[in-house]
Amino acid sequence: MVSEEKRREILEKLKNGVIEFDEDLVREAANEALEVGMDALDAIMNGLVVGMEKVGELFDKGEYFVPEVLMSADALYAGLDILKPHVRKEDIKVSGQVVIGVVEGDVHDIGKNLVKMMFEVAGFEIIDLGKDVPLEKFVEESLNSNADIVALSAMMTTTMLGIPKVIEMIRERNPKAKILIGGAPVSKDAAEKWGADGWAPDATNAVKEAIEMVKSLKKEVMG
Amino acid sequence: MSSKTHKIIFQPEGKRGEFPEGTTILDAAREVGVDIEAICGGKLTCGKCQVIIEQGMENLSPIKEDEQRLLDKRKAGKNYRLACVTKFYGDVVVYVPEESRGGEQIILKEGVELSVAINPAVKKYYLELSKPHLKDDLGDLERILAALKEDYGIDNVEIDYEVLKKMPDVLRSADWKVTVSIWNDREIIDVEPGYRAENAYGLAVDIGTTTVVGYLTDLRTGEVLAIDSMMNPQVTYGEDVMSRITYAMQYDDGLEKLSQKIIDGLNKILENVCNQAGISTEEVSEMTVVGNTGMHHIFLKINPQHIAIAPYVPALHRSHDVKARDLGLNITRGGYVHVLPIEAGWVGADNVAVLIATEPYKQDEMCLVIDIGTNGEIVLGNKEKLVSCSAAAGPALEGAHIKYGMRAATGAIEKIRIDPETLEPEYKTIGDAPPRGICGSGIIDAAAELYRTGIVKKNGRFNLDLDTPRIREVDGTPEYVIAWADETSIGHDIVMTQKDIREIQLAKGAMCAGAQILMKELSVDSVDRVIVAGAFGNYIDKISALIIGLVPDVPIDRIESVGNAAGVGARIALISREKREEANEIARKVDHIKLAVHPDFEKEFSMAMYFPHMDRKRYPRHEEVLKMRS
Repeated sequence: MVSEEKRREILEKLKNGVIEFDEDLVREAANEALEVGMDALDAIMNGLVVGMEKVGELFDKGEYFVPEVLMSADALYAGLDILKPHVRKEDIKVSGQVVIGVVEGDVHDIGKNLVKMMFEVAGFEIIDLGKDVPLEKFVEESLNSNADIVALSAMMTTTMLGIPKVIEMIRERNPKAKILIGGAPVSKDAAEKWGADGWAPDATNAVKEAIEMVKSLKKEVMG
Repeated sequence: MSSKTHKIIFQPEGKRGEFPEGTTILDAAREVGVDIEAICGGKLTCGKCQVIIEQGMENLSPIKEDEQRLLDKRKAGKNYRLACVTKFYGDVVVYVPEESRGGEQIILKEGVELSVAINPAVKKYYLELSKPHLKDDLGDLERILAALKEDYGIDNVEIDYEVLKKMPDVLRSADWKVTVSIWNDREIIDVEPGYRAENAYGLAVDIGTTTVVGYLTDLRTGEVLAIDSMMNPQVTYGEDVMSRITYAMQYDDGLEKLSQKIIDGLNKILENVCNQAGISTEEVSEMTVVGNTGMHHIFLKINPQHIAIAPYVPALHRSHDVKARDLGLNITRGGYVHVLPIEAGWVGADNVAVLIATEPYKQDEMCLVIDIGTNGEIVLGNKEKLVSCSAAAGPALEGAHIKYGMRAATGAIEKIRIDPETLEPEYKTIGDAPPRGICGSGIIDAAAELYRTGIVKKNGRFNLDLDTPRIREVDGTPEYVIAWADETSIGHDIVMTQKDIREIQLAKGAMCAGAQILMKELSVDSVDRVIVAGAFGNYIDKISALIIGLVPDVPIDRIESVGNAAGVGARIALISREKREEANEIARKVDHIKLAVHPDFEKEFSMAMYFPHMDRKRYPRHEEVLKMRS
């Protein structure tokens, strides 16, 4: 068994590696964790995820901006790649499922990736449909997976017109799903008009909104 | 006919030949490939074909009254003769002066310096036809065609239907002396009464999302006779291209309305430039049009929807010629509009125009051509290979999304310097008026100066530890006061906020990442030259652009602003058929990189958002540049 002191040292490295977006440090610490026989889920949840939560805080305060969050995400994923295969299936507690994607005709996915990561950190299972996703696919996947949240984005006014169509289809066939929409051209008014549950105008606010939504969902789940 | 032949030598080229006695100098010149300008085709009308006889003055046909009159009119010197009517009956040496030479080169010197051989698509030919009578009852058109062949060697020509309809009356009212306009050597697009061969005009148009510019151009000299510009009248349907395309998608008559707006606007420009030059709009023989892919499609009334949705396919890449009257444009009834080709997706005809005006594809040096705008187009390469991309920079660098951003107008802060010791700013406004906002060049200056003086860190975050009342936090958001309320004309402080800096980072990051990815695609670490196109480029401070990393690291003197190169490209296309071909070739040759789906884009974009870049190795001259400013 790994000593508590060693465990803390590794967790600290994982956390700082993510905060300082130092992929090498994260990889080194993740490998070390496995070598010394640390629990992989412990390393993820109390190391990497704590680091990413801190990144979210720094972002919220304006200390960090899109580049730092993207770089931190790379560091986070570098650690996850190493640690995830070693997590015991029965240990995974899923907070919920999120279907996420960029609507048909649009290939701008940086904002979507940021939101996806924040959900991942919060313990959600992600079904990432990618970019240029046919509208019907959002509905199908939300039904197949019994998803709690459907998150869609568009970065162009032209492709944005697909969003209300998806909302309508989902409302009809999967009324319990929460819908989070975002992207530069999507206005708050439009989001309200279309009946979305959450809205964010850009990558910056998408992260905040995602955190908020996850918080409120957690509350709902926990009662 | 005498069987005797005589030698003729043309100077300064030294070309020579032997011809039967009594051949005209002009015919001999054409035969040996010496280009003498003879617009009227030897009708003793234009007097352009003057040559100087160096030897053999005595071997020539005598001067007649008509020739003498034209020589006098053109103030010709001694030993001058008109090549079209002067026959030689012995050996002669002829000097062709500069002004009589055809195939003239013009040197453009507005931002770009470029030499173009004049060869417009529309050429005018003066004809003096024999009047028909009972024994010569050849049809009017056939009479014209026969004369074209006889006088100018032109064959296989069709006629526009509208021109055909008016032709018989024009011929008779003009007593069979007419000027015929021929488009691309194959279609008669106008028949005008009298001698009009020296009155050949074209209109080059650059349809920008925001501004539309028209250049009335003399097709024979390339000279710009009048310029007019206006705000794109489509702005009432949306500030940017995307919202206009959305409008076209949402309403059945949307495309029709948008298109009509720009056609009306262009007719207005046409009218204005013609008024300025004192000609009528029907005297304009051709139009060339450039614009981004969205403007291009809307102008041509082609549904623009598909270029706005992945995979962003345009209706066509190649150039297109369409009758101006089919679009409702009021140039000559038979005239064409030539629309330049599209490279790919959003890299449109405007970018092709920039390329034919700057010719990076002819250079040894690695050139980066950037057009800074809401959608920034970037092209990198040299004569070996060219790659392009379009970067969604957003409108921040033009003043939108910036708290005190404004267009370049009176009272806009256009230049800012900050003292690194006192952190006090100095600024200059347009028209030296009290400030009311910050325009594009001021925004780039502000970012550069805030970063240089340490007020903003390389990651874009404000440094709140500095001791000056100009740095403060309002509702938790840091900002820097550029002008206090009492200095301004708006009554409150003009500031740059943290959010403004973030907007600049996003815009600058997109442009810079685009350039870096193109550099990777061509496996180069550096570029030799940066060419900044677009009117905006003229006003940007080069040092500031380098400080924030808007452009890749190059020596400061290798950054060139070339102004509205798209407009220059449109003018070049008007006067050169070769350049039109070149445009089509280049448009297909440029390799287009789709940034949004490029595997490195996210990482490059992140790194490029830093000042000047997260990877400092890519800006080896950075310290040097900072010193230049101080």
